[in-house]
Amino acid sequence: MRTIGIGGAGSKIAVKLDAQSVVVNISEVELSKIPTSGEKIQASLRDGSGVFQGARMDPQIGLEAYGSVSRQLSNLVRGAMVIAATGGGTGNGITAGILKELAGRAEKIAVEEKTVFALVLPYAKMEPDEFVINTSDFLNGPVAAAIDSGNTGNIFMFSNRCKFEKQLAEDKYNQMIVNSLRDFFAIPAKNAQLKLLEEHIDQADFALYLSKPYFNHFTSFNYNPDNDFGKQLSARWNPLLLPPEQAIEALFLLEVPAGNDGTCFYNILKYFNDQDVKPLYSVVENPNLKNPRVSVSLLYSRKPAEEVQDLNRESEEHAQTKVRRTIDQYVELEPLQVNLDNEAAKVKSDGQDDVIAMLKRINKL
Amino acid sequence: MPTSSSPTELFERQLSRLGEEHFLVLLWAATGEYKQVKYNITNLFDDLKHGGITRTKQTAVAIVESLRILCFIDVRDERNRKNIYITEFGAKALEKLIKTGRYVKKGSAFLEEVKS
Repeated sequence: MRTIGIGGAGSKIAVKLDAQSVVVNISEVELSKIPTSGEKIQASLRDGSGVFQGARMDPQIGLEAYGSVSRQLSNLVRGAMVIAATGGGTGNGITAGILKELAGRAEKIAVEEKTVFALVLPYAKMEPDEFVINTSDFLNGPVAAAIDSGNTGNIFMFSNRCKFEKQLAEDKYNQMIVNSLRDFFAIPAKNAQLKLLEEHIDQADFALYLSKPYFNHFTSFNYNPDNDFGKQLSARWNPLLLPPEQAIEALFLLEVPAGNDGTCFYNILKYFNDQDVKPLYSVVENPNLKNPRVSVSLLYSRKPAEEVQDLNRESEEHAQTKVRRTIDQYVELEPLQVNLDNEAAKVKSDGQDDVIAMLKRINKL
Repeated sequence: MPTSSSPTELFERQLSRLGEEHFLVLLWAATGEYKQVKYNITNLFDDLKHGGITRTKQTAVAIVESLRILCFIDVRDERNRKNIYITEFGAKALEKLIKTGRYVKKGSAFLEEVKS
């Protein structure tokens, strides 16, 4: 699958995932810093100001620049994964252009041509309000329209929460995102390479799953068959992604050590059956493992407006704290005694003196 | 109508009959004198028009004439111009009007162009 990184943050993740990624930026300077053997696309603004300044955190500038590369990108995004951060101007604006173009397509998009999106959302509690506002507009506008049109593939909603809470370096955090994505995208390859014990998820199955216009939450963990699967799953949500809602569809790969018959997958099936979900699954034997390991993906539908509410809630708490601090730092003012009659007399007398002084100066008074 | 022979009473009555237009003529005449600028009936007519008080020269002349008869202003023919000067009675009237705050001061476009 081709990977396309949009904007500074998106490009950095993209090239970590695939050294041949296509990267897109407005700023020539930013573009020159990204080490890729793939194509570098510079989106330009009419007045040429973006070459050095980029989108200046303004998604409108990003969207305007999208116009200069829209034809090129609309071909490149077919069957590709687009990676972008939503807080700034370039990733947000150009990705918004791509989503709008997809939402406006009248013809049905074939499974293998669907575009998958990996979006990195700001952590509302600690990142600037401007990033949160940009993200809210992005989710409510282009993302909502693209989901409603059914013309996107899966959307992975990464969040910077983990980065800030665990105080991780950007490079390390990006590597965690990349490792996580690689883990998920390795599912069909593992099916092809390892001994199959139950069912099979091939490339076509996986591509069909990826082509569905839902949010995708995936995670993987060592599975203890003696304990409840649901409890283990909810304790091991992927901390890099926003937590999921009730699953509509699911997929899991159970890897078991050599000698394990893999029948513990029935417990997992039962869990999904209780949720009225019929998952796509397979069980393989992995001789490198000592304990069973499960990779799970849930497709869930959530209105982007609800994601925005979550963002706003976090941002609101932050704002209220700021207000409280402002109130705590108030300055005590002297009570102001105002006599309205005196004040009125002052207003009336305004300009009286100069006329009287003038009359005296000309010896008329 | 009650009558009184008191000069103060007469002055008060004269004063009570002065309108905004009279107040402005007194103010502008005094300002002209203060700035040592000759302020004539043509200047006054332009200022009254500018201030939205009247659009006819006859009215401007009537206002000036009434103030002259009350001895609040002098009108002197100087080099073919009828220049207006405030009298001491006029100054007292203007002082009273200013102190009561009955009318609001308005600038004279003509006099404002002149530096004091």
